[in-house]
Amino acid sequence: MTAALEAAGLVKRFGATVALDGFDLSVSAGEIAGLVGHNGAGKTTFARVTAGLVRPESGTVRVAGMDVARSAARVRPLLGLAPQELALYPTATARENLAVFAGLYGIGRREARRRIMQLAGSLVLADVLDRRVRDLSGGQQRRLQAATAMVHRPRLLLLDEPTVGADPVTRDALLGVVRAAAADGAAVVYTTHYLPELDTLDATLAVAGHGRIIARGDRAGLLATVPGHAVVDFDRPLPALAAPAGSLAEVCRDGRRLILTAPDPASALAPLLAAHLDAVAHLRSIELRPPTLDDLYRHLVNS
Amino acid sequence: MNRLPGIRLVAEIRHQTVLIARDPGPMIGYAVMGLLLITATRPLYAALGRLIPASAAGGIDQAAAGMAVMFSLFALKVGAAHLLNERTWHTWDRLRASPASFAEILAGKALPIFTAIAAQQALLFGFATAAFGLHPRAGWWALAVCALAWSACVLFLGFGASTLARSPAQLNAAGDIFALLTTILGGAIVPVTLLPGWLHDIAPASPGYWALDAYRCALTATPSQLGRPFEMLGVFALAGAGIAGLIGVCQNPLALPFGRHRRPQ
Repeated sequence: MTAALEAAGLVKRFGATVALDGFDLSVSAGEIAGLVGHNGAGKTTFARVTAGLVRPESGTVRVAGMDVARSAARVRPLLGLAPQELALYPTATARENLAVFAGLYGIGRREARRRIMQLAGSLVLADVLDRRVRDLSGGQQRRLQAATAMVHRPRLLLLDEPTVGADPVTRDALLGVVRAAAADGAAVVYTTHYLPELDTLDATLAVAGHGRIIARGDRAGLLATVPGHAVVDFDRPLPALAAPAGSLAEVCRDGRRLILTAPDPASALAPLLAAHLDAVAHLRSIELRPPTLDDLYRHLVNS
Repeated sequence: MNRLPGIRLVAEIRHQTVLIARDPGPMIGYAVMGLLLITATRPLYAALGRLIPASAAGGIDQAAAGMAVMFSLFALKVGAAHLLNERTWHTWDRLRASPASFAEILAGKALPIFTAIAAQQALLFGFATAAFGLHPRAGWWALAVCALAWSACVLFLGFGASTLARSPAQLNAAGDIFALLTTILGGAIVPVTLLPGWLHDIAPASPGYWALDAYRCALTATPSQLGRPFEMLGVFALAGAGIAGLIGVCQNPLALPFGRHRRPQ
């Protein structure tokens, strides 16, 4: 089956700065790929290359099997782009912004009106459709921007930090619309620094670093590679505890608190405590902290 | 038949019209200033014409044509600002990422701006006719053709200016200087025959000079002499379009393997 998006070996330099350095990413139809990475990791450049706004020095991007560089006219109708910076007409109303983007993608006025009402309802914009963009709040502008990228129902949606400045309620509304687009068969590349969103979206993960993808897969599989923590509190200063021989666990003793770091902290904690039953009598609490996406991200970036 | 280009063009024209209508202040200002100056300068040019018959075509002829040229050159900034806004609002990239071709985008933006500039000319000449009895002796059609040709020239010069400017302030400053210089050199304020010798010599380098020449032909019953000024206006229009086109193509990385690619933040 052809991937909805297939980028291979992308290289792009801006002067001495290497923005993309062998960037590979494949996204299937109906998949939401969460693209994360530090500032300057190449996420935005990748989105711009995919949208045909920047030409890579080498490598290819294919959308629905078509090369973006060679078949731009056929690829562009399939793409929806919501860039990182706000890209709306501030003196026009929200409705007029949506209408012009619908028209640019060849959607007739009647159908555009129907889609605008539908999207405005889903994104909590119905009450502000006739207000000028410059009078909207930051969160409303963000949602409107995402709506303008989705009004033509693209097969590949590129959303670059679409929830910046959005409150939790409106963020949920936006994430709901993104999930619905994916359920409808669109491939979504969702760039964010707010990793819990990727859990809500049930997204696969692509971690970018220094112009390339350094980790790719489903969240559970990638999280399994990252150590978690068990935090154990005692009611008196601890005796010397050591991780059982052969264990990968690391023990950090800090007064009355013991922090155990291991890929599976619960499993590692049991033999440790079994070996020190005298300490168990003074045990006050155990808190298991499984690795989060933030931990995974820090682990990958630091390593 | 593929209706998509038509839908895209109509959408872009409608949208550009909305953007112009939402911010009408500059166009209204330049039109009103033109009306006031036609009224104020007409007696001056009439007196000048009596004193030095070769200097001016006639009081209202010179006043109307001069102010039409001057304030359409100021309106050039308005047209250019609408194009520059696309860059400062970051919407230009979104237009480029859409299925609309470069030609469709440009046509969709150009037609409403062209109409606004032509409407400004029509208002000034209409006022001069109604209030002061302006009568183009070569016929209204000749005056209309001149106004359309000059509006197109201004539009394309504006396109060129918009691609060269990097900020609204820069466009404003450069636009004012260009408009005033072109106006003075063209003889729209002081007739060319009265300009100092060295200015007189370089006057044909100004598109305003040829615009005024064309208007003079239409107003003084010599339409057969319109060919030369139209040719020159075409040259200036092409120069503006050439600058806009070259920079536009260079900014489109899929058209050529080079360009002014913006590095993302």
